[in-house]
Amino acid sequence: MDRRVFLASFCAAAAMAFAPPAIAQQRVTINVMTAGDQNMVDYVTDYLGPAFEKQNPGIRVRAVGTGPGDAGSQKIWERIDAQRSANAATWDVDVAVVHQRMAGQMVKEGVLARYRNDVKTGALVTRDTARNALGANVDGYVMPMFHSQTAIAYNPALVSDPPKTFDELVAWTKANPKKFGYNGIKGGMSGVAFVFGWIYAHSPNPQQLMEGPYDPKVKEGWGPALAKLKEFNQNVVITPGNAGTLDMLNRGEIAMGPVWVDMFYTWQADGKLPPTMRLQLISPGLPGQPMYYVIPQKAANMEAAKKFVEFATSPAIQAEGIVKRFNWYPGIDAQHVQAHLDRAVWEKLFNDISPQDLAAKGKPMPIGEYFKEIQEAYERQVAN
Amino acid sequence: MLHEARHGDVRHEGLAPGPMKGEARRRAAESIRANLLGLLLVAPALAIALALFAYPLLFSIASAVTVEGTLSVANFTKAFEFYDRDILFTFVIIGVSTALIGLVSVAIGGYLVLGENRTAIAVLGWLYRWPLFVPFIVAAQCMRTFLAKNGLMNNSFVALGLVDIDATQSLLDWRGIIITFVWKQTPFVALMVAGAMAALDRATIEAARNLGASRLRILVEIVVPQIRPTLVVGLILSFVTMLSVLSVPLMVSGGTPTMLTVDMAYRINAFGDYGVANALGLISYLMTGAVAWIYLRETMREKGRK
Repeated sequence: MDRRVFLASFCAAAAMAFAPPAIAQQRVTINVMTAGDQNMVDYVTDYLGPAFEKQNPGIRVRAVGTGPGDAGSQKIWERIDAQRSANAATWDVDVAVVHQRMAGQMVKEGVLARYRNDVKTGALVTRDTARNALGANVDGYVMPMFHSQTAIAYNPALVSDPPKTFDELVAWTKANPKKFGYNGIKGGMSGVAFVFGWIYAHSPNPQQLMEGPYDPKVKEGWGPALAKLKEFNQNVVITPGNAGTLDMLNRGEIAMGPVWVDMFYTWQADGKLPPTMRLQLISPGLPGQPMYYVIPQKAANMEAAKKFVEFATSPAIQAEGIVKRFNWYPGIDAQHVQAHLDRAVWEKLFNDISPQDLAAKGKPMPIGEYFKEIQEAYERQVAN
Repeated sequence: MLHEARHGDVRHEGLAPGPMKGEARRRAAESIRANLLGLLLVAPALAIALALFAYPLLFSIASAVTVEGTLSVANFTKAFEFYDRDILFTFVIIGVSTALIGLVSVAIGGYLVLGENRTAIAVLGWLYRWPLFVPFIVAAQCMRTFLAKNGLMNNSFVALGLVDIDATQSLLDWRGIIITFVWKQTPFVALMVAGAMAALDRATIEAARNLGASRLRILVEIVVPQIRPTLVVGLILSFVTMLSVLSVPLMVSGGTPTMLTVDMAYRINAFGDYGVANALGLISYLMTGAVAWIYLRETMREKGRK
């Protein structure tokens, strides 16, 4: 290359890099950081990002995964917090996908933008998890990306009349020892969720566990429920992990077990679980959780970020991406999504668990303090 | 001692004959330079050892013995209150696995040295190393489907008519952990042991054979005592390796009690509780420390005897 041409293009490139945002708006890159399992990162990189770029040619999406569980959300917070502590004018996280516990903490610390009223899809959100995240008020700061739910999967070949309540389940395991399996509390969240559901079912005031206020004395009342759970464990199998429960169902070693609904359907779609398997959401209910789209207070590309979340929570994308491809429940109200789905997909998702069931028996996780205390109480009194 | 002697030799060879007066000074300068060079050569390795081992070790000890900045045994109290059974379980599982690994690898090495069927020796010599190349996590995943109640192993037994389909049982508990560890770690020890056995002076073996000793007796009374140091080193390395494996107990057995690595991961992932996790880590250090100490004492005594 001619040296002059090279110099000129170099200067042009340098000028573009330092150009004020007004000019740079021609082409921006937004950073989307996602906590959660690999499938969530896949969702943004393989589906959502490309679809959004197609509709908005000026915006490029850079998706980064920060790892599963609350630890993944923690990493996002650390990145934002570091830039806040350094008094950076803008932060390089434009959109983040975080868990409930972290969303509550971020709202409390004031690092999030209150953007829900600025996006058109904000009005389509109805579930109370959009306002309350494990006891923290997050109203306006979050948009649910999806809801995932735990339920009891069962094999109709072995169980003709599946239990509908926790009491019926206990009676069933007595009659069919070692045919129900769950993964304890160290092997993944489906087991933890089952334990939470158990405590809800045996607590005088489960509402307080889900919404607060926190009272350190509450845990003293869990003794009998945990003793009963210990007795229940004598008749069940402890499986190795979320996938372990599904594996054992698949091999016919157990007839029933708590699973994540999205995992259940994905495994069926992949042929790793027979299509005959069914789901049952037992009373008084089992917990589920949303993941949230949040926008940091000083996101470098605020407008593009809002556009992205609006796109991601639009009924068409929620139908095609969240429900059809990834088997999650939609983050916005399901009735807006229904029109965009063919009947078969809709019926598959709501066949075993109707929208009414989901509304009545789909519980939130317990608030932060109880969340930890129930796990520790289980270790102390059930596992020991 | 050996190293110093060798350094000295090199220096002498490299020295050109010079005037006697400057000789001592030159030699001193040379020695300092050699020492510096040696230090420089060691520095990268030393820095890595300090940064990646000594610093994290000190850091985890500090984290285990402090709670919110003050010295406390609370982490250890909690570790014992919650996980005393897991500590014992870990020790027993690893201990039993190590013993079995020792037995099987001596048997393999013994057959390779004393066996008479050439084909069998060739096949065994080729086969036994395979698990060496399988990572722990892959081994655990294979065992999950192999040892399950309706897994490959039981299904094969049922198909062969060896057991009734209702009588099968899952081995995915403490037995599964031991089976996986023994399967995965035996080749490593067997490789060392077989090598040591092959290097033995065969005269003692032939002499014993001429006197009519059985092969088992030759193995136990002649071969094993001679390769004992190698065997012990292999077993200690296996012990330490198995103590640090998370995937196998996590994937093979979901039940309680479980191994300390699972508890450490759980304390960190569920509670962000590095204090108790580090206390548990320190307890595993103590286990390996105890084993290493036994080994050292043993070797010192052997040396003293010589």
